[in-house]
Amino acid sequence: MEQDIELLLDICIEEMHKGKSIEECLAEYSQYASQLKPLLQLVEHIEALPQPAPSTEAISSTLINIGKEIAQLTITSETPVVRGKKRKTISFFNIFQKPKLMWAFSAALLFLVVLFSAATISANSVPGDILYPLKLATEKVKFLLTFDSEKKAELRLTFSDKRLQEMIAVFRQSGKLDTTLLKEMLDEAKLALEGNEIPTDKASIFAAKLSHVNAYQKDVLEKIRPQVNPSSRQIVDEAINMCDMRSRWMRRMMNEENEISPEGLDSTGSPQIMPRSKQKSNRRQWGPGCDWMR
Amino acid sequence: MKSVNKDLDDDILLQLLVDVKADDTKAIGKLCDHFLPKVYRFIYYRVKKIEDAEDLTSEVCLRVLQSIQEQKGSFHAWIYRIASNMITDHYRRRAVRSTVKSIGDSIEEIDDHSNTAIELLEQQELRQNLSQLTEEQQQVIVLKFIEGYKTDEIADVIGKSTVAVRAIQFRALTTMRTMFNEEGQRRNEGKN
Repeated sequence: MEQDIELLLDICIEEMHKGKSIEECLAEYSQYASQLKPLLQLVEHIEALPQPAPSTEAISSTLINIGKEIAQLTITSETPVVRGKKRKTISFFNIFQKPKLMWAFSAALLFLVVLFSAATISANSVPGDILYPLKLATEKVKFLLTFDSEKKAELRLTFSDKRLQEMIAVFRQSGKLDTTLLKEMLDEAKLALEGNEIPTDKASIFAAKLSHVNAYQKDVLEKIRPQVNPSSRQIVDEAINMCDMRSRWMRRMMNEENEISPEGLDSTGSPQIMPRSKQKSNRRQWGPGCDWMR
Repeated sequence: MKSVNKDLDDDILLQLLVDVKADDTKAIGKLCDHFLPKVYRFIYYRVKKIEDAEDLTSEVCLRVLQSIQEQKGSFHAWIYRIASNMITDHYRRRAVRSTVKSIGDSIEEIDDHSNTAIELLEQQELRQNLSQLTEEQQQVIVLKFIEGYKTDEIADVIGKSTVAVRAIQFRALTTMRTMFNEEGQRRNEGKN
């Protein structure tokens, strides 16, 4: 008798997990309904509770520990051992005769390996994943540790591409367009140009890259547009136009690099041409004066 | 009814484990991404403090990484067994294992910015009631109703037959129902 009700309770729970209501389950086992009902209601209550999630600090701390562990395993596996003893090697580390310096160097090395491991671990995460904040934090650190303005601009382009990949991943998973990621993708591409000084001799190469990135983004957006919810299509259309305009302007800039005004587009939407005599020499500020973004 | 937590497909999990065993850090990331919240929830309802839940989750992840090469059979069973052992060790270390019942009386307020006060209260109430169940009953309730495992999968994790798991589940729910009823009565008396 007791085994019967235990089995019936389990069957009802499985049925509820498949979508049946408590009443539907009880209808099949009406003779046990009075016993089963309060237990099934309790199950429903427990399953409706919000689920706890670890804090971002805890996740970061765990990942750092994992990074340390990976680093430790890597170092251990790479240390050659001969007959139970470490082989004496002449290496870069022998340069440090002083233990303090050696410790400092080891700590710095470990820190770098941990950072690298954490970055790799979170590389494929998308918004909603617990590792995503770590990915963004790693990007910020990477950007802050980059001092060359050309490399900073390149990083911005990389981030823009990452946002696009994430937007596609989210779209594939949920069928919904993440407009925040779309905006960030456009913003990063904008900042690649606006926030950094590009040396004049590299300007046309960089313009080619930007043109390519914008054209690629436009293609991708055009491909996903038919599958996007009609209410979001206007946003996609605006983004497609923006990418197209940027790409065209960059192509033109590439071709006429020395003649285009950094003041941006004229009233017709075409790039303004500035006489060579008015151009600044040496490094060009592709900064806030560049009003190519609407 | 809210859908229970979905698991990775067996094939994907198998491939992931192969990659993790080959020291693929991206695969380690994916595995952490999937199992870290599960392990956390499993531990969360069974320890006294939220900091302990976070620390133990971190320890479980490390233990998994350290001994992944020795892992055989069901990965779910293996990881939850590690978590269970960690929880047992945790109570043993603090010498409170024999007074698990008293935990319910001193469940701490949870400082979690992501949840509303009502959600936190409900979670706390469940934690409090769970802490008064036996260890096996706690495991079954969390795995079944928080993580959404099936009876045979839980049997695999806790090393019991499906008949035994059903019996544990029935007794646990009956005990919890009694506790909820008593709490309801106390609240009503308080209002009156």
